Amino acid sequence: MSEHPAILTENLSYRYPDGGEDVLANITLRVECGEKLGILGPNGGGKSTLLKLVLGLLRPDRGRVLVFGLSPERARVEGLVGYLPQRIEAALDAPLSVRQVIALPATLPLGPLARLGAEARAHIDRILGLLELEALADRPVAALSGGQLQRVMIARALSRRPHLLILDEPTVGIDVRGQQRFAEMLKRLHDELGLTVLLVSHELRTVVAGSDRIACLARTMHFHGSASGLTPHILGQVFRHDVEAMFGPVSGETAASPVGRGQEHGAGSAHDACAEGGGCCGHH
Amino acid sequence: MVTIRYLTEPGLAGFFWPVVLTAVLVAILGGALSWLVVVRRLSFIGQGISHSAFGGVGLALAVGAGAGTAASNAAMMGVVLAFAIVSALVIAAIADRRTGNTDAAIGIVLSVAMAIGFLLHHHAQRGAAARGLAPPPSIEQVLFGSITTIGWSDLYLGTVLGAVALGLLAWKRHAVVFWMFDESAAEAFGVPTAPVRSLVLAVLAVVVVITMKLAGVVLATAVLVLPGAAALRVSSRLGPVIVVSIGLGLVCSLAGLVAAFELDVQPGPTMVLAMVGCYGAARVWSGRR
Repeated sequence: MSEHPAILTENLSYRYPDGGEDVLANITLRVECGEKLGILGPNGGGKSTLLKLVLGLLRPDRGRVLVFGLSPERARVEGLVGYLPQRIEAALDAPLSVRQVIALPATLPLGPLARLGAEARAHIDRILGLLELEALADRPVAALSGGQLQRVMIARALSRRPHLLILDEPTVGIDVRGQQRFAEMLKRLHDELGLTVLLVSHELRTVVAGSDRIACLARTMHFHGSASGLTPHILGQVFRHDVEAMFGPVSGETAASPVGRGQEHGAGSAHDACAEGGGCCGHH
Repeated sequence: MVTIRYLTEPGLAGFFWPVVLTAVLVAILGGALSWLVVVRRLSFIGQGISHSAFGGVGLALAVGAGAGTAASNAAMMGVVLAFAIVSALVIAAIADRRTGNTDAAIGIVLSVAMAIGFLLHHHAQRGAAARGLAPPPSIEQVLFGSITTIGWSDLYLGTVLGAVALGLLAWKRHAVVFWMFDESAAEAFGVPTAPVRSLVLAVLAVVVVITMKLAGVVLATAVLVLPGAAALRVSSRLGPVIVVSIGLGLVCSLAGLVAAFELDVQPGPTMVLAMVGCYGAARVWSGRR
């Protein structure tokens, strides 16, 4: 196993080119292999920007990001990272089956005449099973419901055997029962595949149910620890703008835990899951 | 049937066979690409590239290419191809980076290229008349195609260019299919989306340039859209869609060509109408399934 954490950000700041203030300021974060970290924050709080920095789709103005000790671009190209985007913008009328869509990332390292090997096909079959998609495998992707499509997109994120799964607002528009099912499915994937999971959402239930640890982000990091350390006051700080819009000014004198306080890097259960599942760091 | 006479009579066969084989080439290239154009919503950009090629024709004529010899025709195809590829890349470059919207960019490049093409064609026409040379192809021939401008050298060059273009696309097929399905997510999985997009646009430019002598600038887009649109009505599987798209392209191109020979008209409009007929039939068929 590699000594590198799955994700390491140090004093990360980012400002969009069209100016204004930093969208993210001095974000320091360490996600260990096998951990499930949920990032909770309001819309516009910089969650998706942080994911894009971790994916290497944006470059930080200050600070640095390492993914398994590599640059995010390198980690992405090497297939270490699987990603579920917030919005599905795919061409759903494409003449592709569910199985073909799921296999897309796995085909990228192949030569022009090569086909997926038996091992890769077996892995895709396993993912289809874990996500309860076997019966849909040969169905055209155009014929899927919204929930089925989301599971297909998660399966696609996993087909190249990534070590890190990044989920951007995975439960938007899903009811409470659906969120519960999603959390169970995520736990199953994490335990079976030994994944490190980074999940961002503005929904508290999704983050708490789907994570070992929680980071609260609203431009800066307000909290970074286990769910049990999360207090109504911290949530008030994180969702300050939403709360103020409804109830008036929020007092700032008892500020939330600063970055680093309450950090519990390397929770034992997460590491164990990583080792048992055979995924995580250092497999490429 | 004059078609049989055209293709068998020794004095005529050498003139008409390059036209027929060019139609076959265009059907294969268009059929292989058009499903991609339809799914990736590139129809309008294809229209932009084909109209931009008119500017390339004007430029080629202005520098003296296209005088009828094989070398001159090859030079003309090279100039037009370069102009079309540059136009495609300019459209991609000035498109709205935030939204990926190419609408305004296509409108600008298309208009500028048409204006340049008209002025340079006019200049070439006057220059040829002043020097007592044969007149260049008329604007109508450029816009709607003409079998009189197609020779064996055009066919050979088009075949080589088309093979290289399709070969490049096949070489990068895994990245191209991912990009076609989901451009925004493809980048997050390591697909170099900007080079893939440029490659696809360049291949579209190649097919447009090969098609335009037969079907003309205005109608070249039909070859890039209609076979794929019809095939996507018939099947939802990638392999069958490509096969059906090429098959429909072949049937419609040859039917349109025969109709043009029999009616003694240029083939572009008859080919397009045959393809529209196939597309209509595919819609009716898919509606009854």
